[in-house]
Amino acid sequence: MNYHKALKSAAAVLAIAAPLGILAVGNGVAQAQDAVNLRMTIWSANEAHLKLFNEIAAGFKKDHPNVTVTYESLPFDTYTTALTTQIAGGNAPDMAWIFETAAYDFVNSGALYPLTDTLKAAQGYNLDELSATAAERWSKDGTLYAYPFSTSPFAMFVNNDVIKAAGAKTPAELIAAGQWDWDHAIETASAVGQTGKGGLIVRDFNYQIWQNLASIWNGWGASPWSADGKTCTMTEKPMVDALTFIHDAIFKKKAIPGPGENVDFFAGNAAMTITQISRASLLPKDKPFAWDLVPLPRGPAGEYALIGQAGIGVMQAGKNAETAAEFVAYMTNPENSAKLSQFFPSARKSLLNAEVLKKTNPLLSQDQIDKVVISGIATGKVIPGHTGFAQIQQTVRSGLDAVWRPDADIPGTLQKICGQIGPFLKR
Amino acid sequence: MKAELSPRMKVFLYGLMCVLLVPFVFPTWWMVTSSVKPISDIFAFPPQLVPQSYDWTTYQKVFELQPFVQQYWNSAYIAALVTLGTMVVSSMAGYAFARIRFPFANTIFMIVLLGLLIPSEVTIVPLFQMFLKAGMVNTHWPLILVPIFGAPSVFATFVMRQFFVTLPGELEEAARVDGLGRFKIFRKIALPLARPALASVAIFTFLHSWNLFLEPIVFLSSADKFTLPQALTQYTDAYGGPMWNIQLAAATLTALPVLIVFIIAQKQFVEGLAHTGLKG
Amino acid sequence: MAVAQENVAPEGRASSPFWTVARRDSLAGFLFIAPQLIGIIVFVLIPLGLVFWYSLHEWNVLANTFTYTGAQNYRMLIEDTNLLEVLGATAIFSAGLVVFNLSLALLLAVLLNQKLAGITIFRTLFFSPVVVSLVAWTIVWGFLLQKNGGINGMLQVFGIEGPNWLREETTAMISVIVVQVFKNVGLNMILFLAALQGVPNELYEAARIDGAPRFKQFRRITLPLISPTILLTSIITIVGSLQVFAQIAVLTQGGPGLSTTVLVYYLYQQAFQFHFFGYGSTLSILLFVIVAVLTFAQWQMRKRIVFYES
Repeated sequence: MNYHKALKSAAAVLAIAAPLGILAVGNGVAQAQDAVNLRMTIWSANEAHLKLFNEIAAGFKKDHPNVTVTYESLPFDTYTTALTTQIAGGNAPDMAWIFETAAYDFVNSGALYPLTDTLKAAQGYNLDELSATAAERWSKDGTLYAYPFSTSPFAMFVNNDVIKAAGAKTPAELIAAGQWDWDHAIETASAVGQTGKGGLIVRDFNYQIWQNLASIWNGWGASPWSADGKTCTMTEKPMVDALTFIHDAIFKKKAIPGPGENVDFFAGNAAMTITQISRASLLPKDKPFAWDLVPLPRGPAGEYALIGQAGIGVMQAGKNAETAAEFVAYMTNPENSAKLSQFFPSARKSLLNAEVLKKTNPLLSQDQIDKVVISGIATGKVIPGHTGFAQIQQTVRSGLDAVWRPDADIPGTLQKICGQIGPFLKR
Repeated sequence: MKAELSPRMKVFLYGLMCVLLVPFVFPTWWMVTSSVKPISDIFAFPPQLVPQSYDWTTYQKVFELQPFVQQYWNSAYIAALVTLGTMVVSSMAGYAFARIRFPFANTIFMIVLLGLLIPSEVTIVPLFQMFLKAGMVNTHWPLILVPIFGAPSVFATFVMRQFFVTLPGELEEAARVDGLGRFKIFRKIALPLARPALASVAIFTFLHSWNLFLEPIVFLSSADKFTLPQALTQYTDAYGGPMWNIQLAAATLTALPVLIVFIIAQKQFVEGLAHTGLKG
Repeated sequence: MAVAQENVAPEGRASSPFWTVARRDSLAGFLFIAPQLIGIIVFVLIPLGLVFWYSLHEWNVLANTFTYTGAQNYRMLIEDTNLLEVLGATAIFSAGLVVFNLSLALLLAVLLNQKLAGITIFRTLFFSPVVVSLVAWTIVWGFLLQKNGGINGMLQVFGIEGPNWLREETTAMISVIVVQVFKNVGLNMILFLAALQGVPNELYEAARIDGAPRFKQFRRITLPLISPTILLTSIITIVGSLQVFAQIAVLTQGGPGLSTTVLVYYLYQQAFQFHFFGYGSTLSILLFVIVAVLTFAQWQMRKRIVFYES
């Protein structure tokens, strides 16, 4: 959009027209359609992200000169809350980013406009390319209600300097020796933790966002509720074993910083952290440390991967839902998906190859891309979610507080939590 | 208790006050000093009282990442308008409740006092809907109109009423004999006497508006309309992780000017309060 | 509370038989209070009525359904197993806050009322947190109260191993109270200081001649004379304590368990996080009733407690 040029030509027109007294109001630009303003709520306020989004909006405007798209950054922490407040007030955005945990709420409620038809109709869109597993959470009865534009695997970032200083084995060495499993990983973390630095940090978990622990307990085959979401499975053996393992790592082995301890991996204060690969951008540019990126360790139940997702949905309530759906189709077409994938890994098969990914993730090696990114997206389970997740999350969070103390009764606490969330799961 | 104190007593009192000061001063000190620490030093344990190395670029980033000057202006002009408006509304209402006899005055006063009792969380959803219907969402109007006329101004009205009640009636009598109407009596006689009470109302109101948090979050959505407390929470990386040192630098910039104004004006403030009806 | 004063002179000039002084005054009175009254109606009473209306509905924001359910939300209120714990936390929080706030404010006011050089510097410093942004203040305390944060760092200097402040039920409650008190005690302190300075000096002199010790002077003279201020500050502080929200959200998010989930935070969770706007509105009504009853009770008690009212 060349704003200055437009302004200049407008000024020129004015200069000619004004003396002649022929300046008719509202007759300036021939415009058959009414102007349409679309608003998309997002949780990123990152400049680079916004620049790209605005470029995409400008691209859309070329074919749809009457459509203007604006992005509204809401704070990450309170994003879903702020979004639903807008909806409650009757001020729903036309499009919104949706967290994977909240996906069921939005998809099942009927708040979203069905996208499948619009996406299929878009030229060169090739919706079939989207992997079915990636689309699962965002679909109901075979219809896609939000497009999963970001499918980001969890992986382990490693600070080799810290680990070597503690005299422990690095993950790379363990992988080479075929010993990359949770027992060895915690052994390394524990060795570092004993020196006063942080061992392993599950990023953003912070004893509140417990669903991020799926990055560990999936290795035990544990899950908080059954596949159909109706039954609490936290009392079953895999979950009890996994949480006992995590508990020991925190309180006996000092391998994971305890509750209320602030340690930042990216500031160089910890051995390892589990987070999404896109956080590579947080690695320090000056005073860097020797870092590595490895897949999650093997658990008792074998190898596994975890992914986080984010979707774009069109609000049913908006006046211009159809146009908004067209914009989503444009934003996530193969060409723009490729651009987006530099920040948000795409679940399109054509973009899931080493060549493309190498370009968009310059920090990662070929090997890391193969083992962490590609196989992670292909095999990963999505972070747990459920209808009414906010309430379930909160209930489990306050219940788990009883686990995060040295003398915890883990099976008893899990029993109690299941009793509390049981009725919510059945809703 | 105004007797001369013994030297030993003085030392004891100074010592006691210095100890008590720690939790009041240390957080602010830590906020200011940490704003120039590199991020890894913020988490250092034990905490550094004085930065080991300085990183002044945080202050530059405060202005780069957000339209901070604009946000500063938003907060400042909203707080100024709200303060002025509240002074007008509450001094008039307070005067009427204290000095004018009119039907249902007591009942109306009780209804107005209801405003003191209602947390803003309670009414935020209906207010949001009302302002949406009026086309005022994502404008500053809700942040200006509600404090001036709604619940937050009730405390100011209460303070003003308590003050005007103490005015001697003879002054008004004399003015009446001179032929002054109600409004003139209010403006020429009562209001000038009420300066101390007005001063404390002004300070309370300004601080309330300056620190408002929930309402801006609910009503405003574009960065150039944000107010400062809201802007503080926006210094995050792309994944919502707070950029601590930049947040602290921004927080320092929001706190210091008010602190300086208070230091200059605190004598008037304390003495102003001493002359209001609040003293009992 | 008597609002009007006996100050209307009957012999005021009446320009016409209808516009008597009393009528003119009535009109003036209504005009004077009009902005405030209209504001209260529009921004308080109507929204409050709407909240009550919502509380009779089940409102699913996402599905955009709004169904009349009568008293169902109120039945839910009675059956809510969390509510008792929440109300308990609210009571502990408010009581702790008021007691700590008022006693600290009074102590500081008495200290600042002494004839000491440089007392204005102390006054300024004690007041300074009031002008620091609440969010910034809470974030900073959040840092300091971490297990490996500043408070425990200082305690370590004295060889004490500090508790995990925000993660133990008791210390978490103490922490949110203390953080809130240090932030705002300056306001009450100034109000008390003003009240203390209004106590006539002669009374103390008389007491001193009678040989009354300092503490007795304080109990017998100071406290009764400043009792109206104590009443006022306690009402403001209690009402304020029931509205504390940002501090809880930043420091503990209501945990551990439900130990710091006060009513206003619970209301916020139900309405804004869980999207139960109908039930959230019901909790709003409950909160309003609690505040109103408490204020009324305090107001009634004033006759017994307050020794003197101007």
